[in-house]
Order: sequence, then C-alpha cells, then structure tokens
Amino acid sequence: MPLAPVNTDVGMNQLTRDPYPIYRRMRRDTPVVRVEGVKRTFLTKAAHTKRVKDTPELFSSNDPNTPMQPAFRAHTLMRKDGDEHRRERMAMQMAYTPKVIKANWAQIYRDITDEYLSRLKKGDTVDLFREICGPVSARILVHILGLDGATDEQMMRWSQELIDGAGNFGWDPELFRITERANDEMDAHFGSLIDHHKANPNASALSLMVNAENPIPDSQIYANMKIAIGGGINEPRDAMATIIYGLLTSPEQLEEVRRQEAWGMAFEEGVRWVAPIQASSRLVLEDTEIGGFDIPKGDTVMTIQASANRDEDLFEDGENFVVFRDKNPHQAFGSGPHHCAGAHIARRTVGEIMIPALFDRFPNMRLPDPDAVRWRGFGFRGPVNLPVSLN
Amino acid sequence: MVKVTYVAADGTETIVDADEGSTVMQTALDNSVDGIVGECGGAMMCATCHCYVDDAWSDKTGPRQDGEDDMLECAADAVKPSSRLSCQIKLTDALDGLVVHLPQDQV
Ligand code: HEM
Repeated sequence: MPLAPVNTDVGMNQLTRDPYPIYRRMRRDTPVVRVEGVKRTFLTKAAHTKRVKDTPELFSSNDPNTPMQPAFRAHTLMRKDGDEHRRERMAMQMAYTPKVIKANWAQIYRDITDEYLSRLKKGDTVDLFREICGPVSARILVHILGLDGATDEQMMRWSQELIDGAGNFGWDPELFRITERANDEMDAHFGSLIDHHKANPNASALSLMVNAENPIPDSQIYANMKIAIGGGINEPRDAMATIIYGLLTSPEQLEEVRRQEAWGMAFEEGVRWVAPIQASSRLVLEDTEIGGFDIPKGDTVMTIQASANRDEDLFEDGENFVVFRDKNPHQAFGSGPHHCAGAHIARRTVGEIMIPALFDRFPNMRLPDPDAVRWRGFGFRGPVNLPVSLN
Repeated sequence: MVKVTYVAADGTETIVDADEGSTVMQTALDNSVDGIVGECGGAMMCATCHCYVDDAWSDKTGPRQDGEDDMLECAADAVKPSSRLSCQIKLTDALDGLVVHLPQDQV
C-alpha cells in the first residue's frame, strides 16, 4: 500500500487560527495525511480516530520523550498504557463519580456558581470568559481535588503553565523555567495538605489517593493531581464559553433548550461543535494500515477529534451548532483507555449547574457583537473572550 | 446470530439479531438502541454502557470481569447485584435470547 499523501501547505498558524475549513477539505480529499509542518500524520475521519484510540496495543500513549515529562516532573498516566495506566487512573477515578458529585458536591458547586454570578450586575457588559468560565471552573476543581487554600489565580496559572510546558515541542528553556516554578509551587501545596487529608479523609481526589489501602507512589499521586489540574480547568472553561456562544447566537435554539430544559443536550452539542481538546497523539508500535495507507512503525498519528466530531459520515450539518440532534456520537471526551476521567464531572458541573444557573440569573443576556469573539487553538480550542451584556 | 432484547427504562423493548463475538454494548450501538452510550468503546473507562441483566440470564452471563466492580461505581444510575457493564458481556450461542434492562441515565 502507498504511504499517506504529504501536505506541505498547512502549518501551525493556520491550524491555530481556523482549523475547521482545513479539516473539512482533509476529510474530503486526504483523510489520512502526513502534515509536514506539524511532523505528524493527521487522521480526520471519526472511524479512524476511534479505531486508533480503541487499539492501544498498536497505537500507544506511552511516549516518555515528549515535553510532558519535564513539564509535569513525571511520566504521567496520560502517557502510559496497560495495567500501569489503569492502576494510576483508578486511584483517583472514584473522586469523579456521579454519586460522589451528587452526595458531596452538587450543592457546593451551585453555591460557588451563584456566588460568582452574584458579583455581576444586570445592565453591565462583561467578559464572561474571564469573569465566570475560568474562575468558576477553577474553584470547583479545588474542591474535587482537595486542594484547599489554592486561589483561583494559582489554579488557572498552574493549569495554563502545565499545558504550555506539555506543548513545548520546541524545548524552549524559558517555558520549562516557568513550569519548574509552577511545579515547585504545586509540589509544596500538595505536600502541605497530606497530613490534613490523612487526618480528615474525604471524597476529594487527593484524600482518596493518600488514604488508599494500597496507595500508588507519591510521585504518581502528584503527577495525577497535575494531570487533573491541567485537564480540569481549561476544558470546562472552554466548553462553557462555547456553549454560551452557541446559544446566544441562536436565540430560537436557546428558547427551545429553556422550554425543554435540554441543557444536557446543549452541553453535548457544544463539546461536539468545538471540542475543547481537539487532537491527541499516539505512537505507532507496529507497521500498520489506516484507510488504505501504510502507516510505519515509529510514526506519530494525531487523532483529530475536532474533525471526527464534524464527520459527514456521522453528522448532518456538522459545521453548525444544532442542539436537537437525534444522535450525537461525538468523541470530545476521547475513547478507549484514556477516555476522559472527568467526563461525568464536566457534564454535571458545566451542563447541569453552571450553564442553567447563568441563563437563569440573566435570562435576557445578549452577545452584542458575535464577531468580537476570538477563537484560538490547535490542540486545545475555544473562545478567548466573551463580551456579553447582562440582563 | 444471537437474539438480544433491550428493555428501556420506560419498558420499551428492542429486539435485535447480534453477531456472535460482539458485545451487548457494541450490538446496541450498531443497532441504534437508545439508552446505551458506550463512550469509551469498551475499555471499561466510562461506565456509560451500564445495564441490568434479567434475573433469568444472570447465571449465563457469568460474574463481573476484573475491574468491572470499580468502574460500575462510576455509573450514573443505581448499581444493583444484576448490574454489568455491557461492554464486558460477550455474546455467545449460550446467550441467544438474552434480556437486559437499561437504566434511566448513563451520563
Ligand atoms: C468539557 C470538559 C472536558 C473535556 C472536553 C475533556 C476532554 C478530555 C479528552 C479528549 C481526554 C483524552 C486525551 C487523550 O486521549 O489523550 C481527557 C483526558 C483526561 N481528562 Fe478530561 N476533559 C474535560 C474535563 C475534565 C475534568 C473536569 C477533569 C478533572 C478531573 C478531567 C480530567 C482528565 C484526566 C485525568 C484525563 C486523563 C485520562 C487518562 O489518560 O486516563 N477532564 N479529557
């Protein structure tokens, strides 16, 4: 079989600015394609991205030589396979169950959301992205993880710095200096809480991990905490901003969502339409084949869930935000062993609490100028501002 | 072919002919049976393919797999002794006629 065709036109800049027209062309003309500018083989069809993620024996997450290792001071579970991955994953998974949320947290999350919303006044125009989406996501995560005492500002900065470090494929030493400092701060903060959690066992992730009968090593507890900080703030923040944008630019759909209380469907459609995590990479362990092309051992494939989520084979009118779909088999939370550990949390916090509370408090909120909203990102994507008139 | 009956939370029955070797989860997805999401594709990582095996069939479907108990804890709806992750029930001849009940919520 031939090797995948090579694309020499597309680079990071275009992908960061507006990837969707590029993905649409790729799905049509070159669904499996080597992108020179990114040095990766892009997979843009839903069947291919899903197969790769569901076949870890062939497409491994285990790649210790990415910038993730220095950025997190650890070989984290996101970059492991098999039993080792499952053990580290299950050490914290129980903190993220629907039952724990219902029993321990739902009321706290409602109170947090209300507290932040109550700082805003009707009649004002505010950047919801900055005032609400980020800080509320951060505050909620402090509780889920058991990071008592961490400020919103710290949580958001740590999260961003971890993400920047993990994406530092140019190995820029300045970026690693920043992640080093963040790691020092996080390690010190985690360390200062361990006695507290041992003395007061609770349902938070840190407490579960340090109090486990057969705990994973401290280094991996810390690494797990960092993965959850890196993955648990920007994604709900971006999902929330995307959903608000979708609903405010489509008042008839908003009306219908309100009438049917279909906030859960609005959530699913928001993360389908603009997946907060757009792409994930996997290392090819054996010579193989995808979509009629040879994929050599040692290649790195990018599963572009952003594109899979708009694949014409699965979605009608996939380029648009359409809440009321019969089926919505998106891959925004990934698939396979690394399927998002926080999916239940995200659905419940963003979908069932944050978004309805916002529209409840400001029923006549408007987005005066949708064109003023700027979108960015290749690996992670969402609006970077959301200027809304509250009413 | 193996016949499988899915009984939704509201009592609606869907009967499908499944391929031997497939799973109860995959068969539901392949036949657009509502009420099973199966978002992680059978890796036992999402608990969105939760089902209750009909009492008449629990002996034949056998015990839960290694790790299944833990992941069932993450299910959205009540977990009962008959609870299984349907991705872990492989369809064989012996399961021809299997009946599973679906929970109200998967996410
Ligand atoms: C709308 C919000 C969210 C989206 C769209 C999202 C998306 C994803 C995706 C696509 C992956 C898989 C990456 C891969 O396959 O390589 C992932 C993994 C992960 N997510 Fe999320 N996520 C969200 C919220 C959260 C939250 C709130 C948490 C906090 C606990 C979280 C924790 C994790 C963890 C720990 C992993 C790693 C799982 C593993 O490797 O086994 N996520 N997420």
